Amino acid sequence: MTEFSRRSALGLAALSAFFPSPAGAFGEASAFNPRLLSAGARQNLRGRETGAARWSWELVRRTSAPARLVAGRVNADRPDLCAEPFAIWAGDSDVGSLSSSEVRGLSRFFALGGLLLVDDSAPEAGAFARSARRELARVLPESPPVRLDPSHVVYKTFYILDRPYGRAPGTGSIEAILRGKMAQAVFVGTDLLGALSRVGETWAFEVPGGNMQRERAIRLAVNLAMYVLCSDYKDDQVHAPWLMRRRAGLRR
Amino acid sequence: MSARFSFAEDVSQALLVAGGGLFALAFVLLLVELRLRGAGARLVTLSGCLALLLLALALLRPVRVQAEASLVGARVVMLVDRSRRMLLPDGKSTREIAARDAARAVRQGMSDARISVLGFAEGEPTPLSLDALGPTRGDDSDLVAALGALSRAGGERPEAVVVVSDGRLTRPLPNLRDAELSRLVGELGVPIHTVLVTEREPPDAAVRALQTAGAAVAHQPLALRIEIACSGGLECNELPVEVRELRQGEPPAVLASGVAKLAGAPSATLELSITLDRAGPRIVEVVTTAPEGDAVPENDRRIVTFNVARQRVRLLHVAGRPTYDVRSLRRWLKADESVDLVAFFILRTDDDTPMTSDDSELALIPFPVDELFTEHLPSFDAVVLQDIDAVTYRLAQHLPALERYVRAGGGLIMVGGPSSFGGGGYARSPLERVLPVEIGEPTRPFDLGEFVPRYTAVGRVAPPLLPLRELVSEDLPRMVGSNTLGAARDGSIVLWEHPDRSTKGGGPMPVLALGDAGDGRSIALAVDGTHELAFSEFAERTAGRAYGALWDGLLGWLMRDPRYEAARVRLAEPCVAGQKAKLEVTRLPGTEGELELVVEPLGVNEAKPSVHRAPMPASGSLVVEVGPFTPGGYSAHARVGKSPPTRFDFACERGGPAWSDTRPDAARLERIAKLSGGRFVTKSAAGSLPKPPPTEVATLREVTPIVPAWAWALVAACALGWHWIERRRAGLA
Repeated sequence: MTEFSRRSALGLAALSAFFPSPAGAFGEASAFNPRLLSAGARQNLRGRETGAARWSWELVRRTSAPARLVAGRVNADRPDLCAEPFAIWAGDSDVGSLSSSEVRGLSRFFALGGLLLVDDSAPEAGAFARSARRELARVLPESPPVRLDPSHVVYKTFYILDRPYGRAPGTGSIEAILRGKMAQAVFVGTDLLGALSRVGETWAFEVPGGNMQRERAIRLAVNLAMYVLCSDYKDDQVHAPWLMRRRAGLRR
Repeated sequence: MSARFSFAEDVSQALLVAGGGLFALAFVLLLVELRLRGAGARLVTLSGCLALLLLALALLRPVRVQAEASLVGARVVMLVDRSRRMLLPDGKSTREIAARDAARAVRQGMSDARISVLGFAEGEPTPLSLDALGPTRGDDSDLVAALGALSRAGGERPEAVVVVSDGRLTRPLPNLRDAELSRLVGELGVPIHTVLVTEREPPDAAVRALQTAGAAVAHQPLALRIEIACSGGLECNELPVEVRELRQGEPPAVLASGVAKLAGAPSATLELSITLDRAGPRIVEVVTTAPEGDAVPENDRRIVTFNVARQRVRLLHVAGRPTYDVRSLRRWLKADESVDLVAFFILRTDDDTPMTSDDSELALIPFPVDELFTEHLPSFDAVVLQDIDAVTYRLAQHLPALERYVRAGGGLIMVGGPSSFGGGGYARSPLERVLPVEIGEPTRPFDLGEFVPRYTAVGRVAPPLLPLRELVSEDLPRMVGSNTLGAARDGSIVLWEHPDRSTKGGGPMPVLALGDAGDGRSIALAVDGTHELAFSEFAERTAGRAYGALWDGLLGWLMRDPRYEAARVRLAEPCVAGQKAKLEVTRLPGTEGELELVVEPLGVNEAKPSVHRAPMPASGSLVVEVGPFTPGGYSAHARVGKSPPTRFDFACERGGPAWSDTRPDAARLERIAKLSGGRFVTKSAAGSLPKPPPTEVATLREVTPIVPAWAWALVAACALGWHWIERRRAGLA
């Protein structure tokens, strides 16, 4: 059997980014796909569209997970929202009110077990996050967001992290709407897509903490992707003792 | 002809008691009256007593009974032990023949008696012909059940019971107190005479008893108490004991071994701990090596069936990379409380660049492939290999062990992906031999063409897919590509096939296939898109339940869950070596066609399996006679029509528990006879048992009233009238 190296595959994948394609080939239909959700009356990504593709690129480069390098957009009121279990809802201002068909679409998405990442592109103002919470409360009225404990699996699905990172410092914690142990909606108030977005060969937005903070933002993105793909795999008993030791080492 | 007086037969016992009481009260009142009034009340008392007497006679209406009777021999029931133990050798003959001779001697000695000969073993006794004994009836000699059946039976009660046995009865137990033994054997209320058929105690070393502490649970140690005994003058010091599990196509696996230290004692008990890893009926043999001179070698080996329960399915899920397909399977497995999941996913390869200064920033652990597939492998009930490259992740060196694991009873599912089957280095590997399909060496390990899998004829009736079909009929989501598979192996079943691709042989390429391999089972799924049943626009139709329906069926079939078997097979009665065995096959609704029943011995053997074919009835079950077999473990594969085969393992023993103790028990027979008022004799004195007295049988009976009933009533009324007059005269009310 001919073995392709991961780097050559990555190169081919990057090339394919110029030729947007649908689902893809064998093994790719079940690859991670950070789709951007369009929902609400107003939504402005302000140059963060490339963040999703970069997210996939970093995931493929750093991990064994396959990912779609051409991130698509999906509307909340379209059936294809339920084609895959992950979507990102980002914006920098109040989204307005979701239409009833959008509420129904998101309800179906969550009912199947989908995970929605809510990324506030302007966490300094917080208007998007507040409106997203308000509208999601219409979709999931019985489950208010809760703060995830620092020991939550999302902080250790691939990298060991101590807090969320992004373009902005945020509140220092991730919140989520949970069903049982599994998150349905994850709120990251750090403008994660902003830290990942590119313009040509350069990063689209400055990050106050420099490369270190951006690297940590990428690591959080990788962790979130692994959480989508593996759910609470790293909470399995077989990993626990080993991770406990490594965490203790990091604290020292 | 004899004659006697009696009362009218229509007077009930209750009426007699009530009338007697009233008359006694009236008589006492008359006496009191006489005492209070003295001589003046004499006539009152006299008339009152006369009236009472005549009233009583009017009520009882005396009759004269004339009868003609004759004397016949007493009814005697002879119970002859028909347990399998009676097949034990007795000199040059068997105990069965000795029992028959003893029974004949009893019948001759009681020639005047009316003797019913019944055979007893398990349950109720059945009529027995001493000229044609027929097959024995079971492992037990349950005399208590036989006597209970006699006491419950209607008709003439016997005057005596004669028990012909070697005394090694299952019930009553040997160590009962006299009071308890009397209660058990005295229910009938007649003397029980006992005849000991043999006094010979053969020189014998035996596995006398097997006991377990609790039920057998997969992966849990089970304490097995084994009693090894020597009797009949055979000298035993230390006897080796071995416990083995019999498996299909494999040599017996030694589970435990030990030494029974008798050192002159009649028996020794040793406790061995065994662990059975597979659930369902497992065949285990316990063997001891007897010294020379053992007259009954058959009981040196016991073959027993353990119905091993499973608390949870312990499942190893190994995935080569995290994908939505892996996500769906993991979420479903984790949500199932009956699954104890151990998962390992390859999250990083050597080619990946995690951008860390050292690995301490990563939450990754090395894939413990050597530890998993050597030390821990037997502890899993099933292994799921999902899109993992065997060469890259050093799994290839463990494929022989994985093959042995499946053949020894483990379950295997290979789920498709670019690194599965031929794409993962499994072609021509030992693991391919236990997959239900051939992989071959395809030029393209996978194909990128989109397609919708197609149900095969077998897939339409296969129970593992019934829950899925109930939800979505035969609709399936579109798959993006498929692994390249070869033809299905002999005996394997293809449930889904590719509508466009074909194997080298020209047939449609299997997409989902399942099959047996040795003691284990395996499933091949050549797509990586079943997650579309859990999360997709297609999945919305069933709210994602179709995914659970598919995997419930596949995992259930892999673990031999009876819900997903096309037929149910069981032994209609215990299998005895040398005799025909009866296997009862029940098909599930939806399956139809001819039954093919293949029976083969467990273990490694060259013997050709026996194949039986019969049309299945439209409803109910079918009993198929198979064998006779030699002692050992056997595996029956029943296949109804095109449905997947169902496997049933069973054990056949020559003597079984009935032969575990070959010593005759004269003391027990003697106690039974003594406590019931009977007599104990040996076979040589069987003809000398006391004859019960003959029974009188009435042949004619005539009942004539002495005086008509109306005459009794008239006389009683006159006497009452006289009494009333006397009372008035005496100034009484």
